[in-house]
Amino acid sequence: MIRFFIALWAAKLADKLFSLKYGRECDTAGLVANKLCPDFMARVAKPPLVITVTGTNGKSTTSTLIANMFRSRGRRVSFNDWGANIHAGYSVNLLRGVDLLNRCRADVSVLEADELTACDTMPMIRPQYMLVTNICKDSLRRNGHPEYIFGQLEKAFERLGDTTVALLNANDPISSELAADTGTRRVYFGMEDTHTEPFENMVNDAGVCPRCGGKLLYHYRHYRHLGDFYCSDCDFKTPGADYLAKNVDLAARTMTVTEGPEETAYPLMSDTVFHAFNTLSAVTLFRELGFSQREIADFLATQSVPSIRESVVEYDGIQYYTYAAKAQNISAASTVFEYMAKEPSDKDVVFILDEMQDSNHPSETISWLYETDYEFLNAPHIKKIIVAGHMCYNHRLRLLLAGVPAERIVCVEEESDVPNVVDTEGIEKVYVLFEIDFVSKARKVRDAIVDRAREVKGK
Amino acid sequence: MKIVENLFPELCNIYGESYSMTYLARCNPEIDLRLTNHKTVPAFVTEDVDMIYLGCSPERKQEQIIELLRPYTDRLRALIDRGTVILATGNALEVFGREIREGDRVIPALGIFDSCAVRRMEPGDRHNSRYIAAFFTDEGEKLTLLGHKSQFSFSYGDFSRDAFATVERGVGMNPDTKAEGLRRNHFFGTYSLGPYLILNPPFTKYLLRLMGLDDTLAFEAEAMKAYQYRWNELTRVSN
Repeated sequence: MIRFFIALWAAKLADKLFSLKYGRECDTAGLVANKLCPDFMARVAKPPLVITVTGTNGKSTTSTLIANMFRSRGRRVSFNDWGANIHAGYSVNLLRGVDLLNRCRADVSVLEADELTACDTMPMIRPQYMLVTNICKDSLRRNGHPEYIFGQLEKAFERLGDTTVALLNANDPISSELAADTGTRRVYFGMEDTHTEPFENMVNDAGVCPRCGGKLLYHYRHYRHLGDFYCSDCDFKTPGADYLAKNVDLAARTMTVTEGPEETAYPLMSDTVFHAFNTLSAVTLFRELGFSQREIADFLATQSVPSIRESVVEYDGIQYYTYAAKAQNISAASTVFEYMAKEPSDKDVVFILDEMQDSNHPSETISWLYETDYEFLNAPHIKKIIVAGHMCYNHRLRLLLAGVPAERIVCVEEESDVPNVVDTEGIEKVYVLFEIDFVSKARKVRDAIVDRAREVKGK
Repeated sequence: MKIVENLFPELCNIYGESYSMTYLARCNPEIDLRLTNHKTVPAFVTEDVDMIYLGCSPERKQEQIIELLRPYTDRLRALIDRGTVILATGNALEVFGREIREGDRVIPALGIFDSCAVRRMEPGDRHNSRYIAAFFTDEGEKLTLLGHKSQFSFSYGDFSRDAFATVERGVGMNPDTKAEGLRRNHFFGTYSLGPYLILNPPFTKYLLRLMGLDDTLAFEAEAMKAYQYRWNELTRVSN
């Protein structure tokens, strides 16, 4: 106990100092806490309600929605909203919710949680709710493969047992199988056919039935391996959804969610099916917590996609976007490429997908390029694809193999050269696709493109 | 036509491995690419195939694959002795070794090579590295191979006769050896994962020649440019 309080006080002091120097998005104090007291996360007082959001894609958006909901109700929320989703981030998040005597001052803790390490951390934190968005392929260097991530999350549920409610995606053949034998109450959210006619992906994260190895078939798919699935050889199929989204109208940004005999219309914050899933999963949690449908609908009407994912400026009739794409995460990258193809504007697409977050591994494996659907980018309204940075030659080869005509591909090693090759007329939009951790870099490139367009116009 | 059999792509394509075979087939129209599902009998059992490819798989499926191939161990041994081209990448090379150990568990493998893989599956145990390695063709020509490793296991044994290549930068079959992969006649196994033939166009040309085919690659200039750039970059960051 003494060690815990020493850790708490030292970490609180460190948090004050580091926050002054680096801002609040610094988790060094959490490192201090965990170093001095390895079970700090278990000992620190928790708010009455702790909610964890984990899974491969959609964690940030979903956990932000959840935290915003509680804030909108005047509740005190601790939330690791700066992407610090492993040990140190949790500890900072939780220590900010207690005073020097370890008395909890927060009402709710929302934790965006890394799926790889959840089996070590969640048993200490013991959330009442653990929402799993989905399990997809991600960085092979860190996450291995989906089957491995499934195993890690399954260990977390085994260790949590019946103290945690699992909120699971019924349309994901991988994560829907979680917590089957752990005594955990499982609540499923799912979606009826959205008629979005998803493209066929070259790689399927769930190519075979996890129970018998048979071929997985679909009545319909939403995107990638998410959909209404069934096995060709056994009785494995989409579980029944407790919260089922129907009449999903992405263009009008609305959906209806059915719970038993009740149906409620909710607004969506985007025209993409993956954000519809994020909203649906948050609605599921809110309903489980007892929020009324009206409260939820009114709240959702005030929400928008976090600007960290997407931003836009307009100049001379052209819209210039930054758009998060996540290199190495093939499901996220392919989904963005599909969006680029389906979004009908004439456009240039700029790749700032050079994996520079791996500065110690600047030549990361090229494997993700050959699992990602570059073929989607072979669309006539994508006028030019500019590949920049040290991965440019790898991107160019992949685009050529995907059938993109050579004359539509521009390869520049230096990102500073990008503005010189982006079109300034004959297009409606420019999309700068970027690594999620490099928002400011993407905006800098985008702004340089706009500056260059101004120069051209001025001449 | 030359028959190239890609074994169990629905199980063994976790890092884009199958694109190696797609690429190979695009390089030469004389290649008849067969994709063999794990619920069917492989073509190599009854036909004289020209090349077999086995890619990387999740660990539990790797064990399933060993059992799928076990009845055909003698046939595989005969094909290797005959000089059929076989390529195994990532943990697929462990399938051809003696055994895989994970804690107290011992999983007997096909035993074609006398190597033992040791698997540890905690997150901190995942090994990531890159290699630059020297490979010598049957004619004695040196090819430089580039590899990316991301794995939960290493292999141990005496690789003095059976190494695929010698690592010049990076690690080999385990952190204590420069011997990388397995080789016997035209069986080539490497721990490198992903689409190895895109990563290594000179080696791809060699495989095409081994099968008696013209060795021109699809988008050869662009493939070589990307390879050269990666090679330079790996050399620079390894210094």
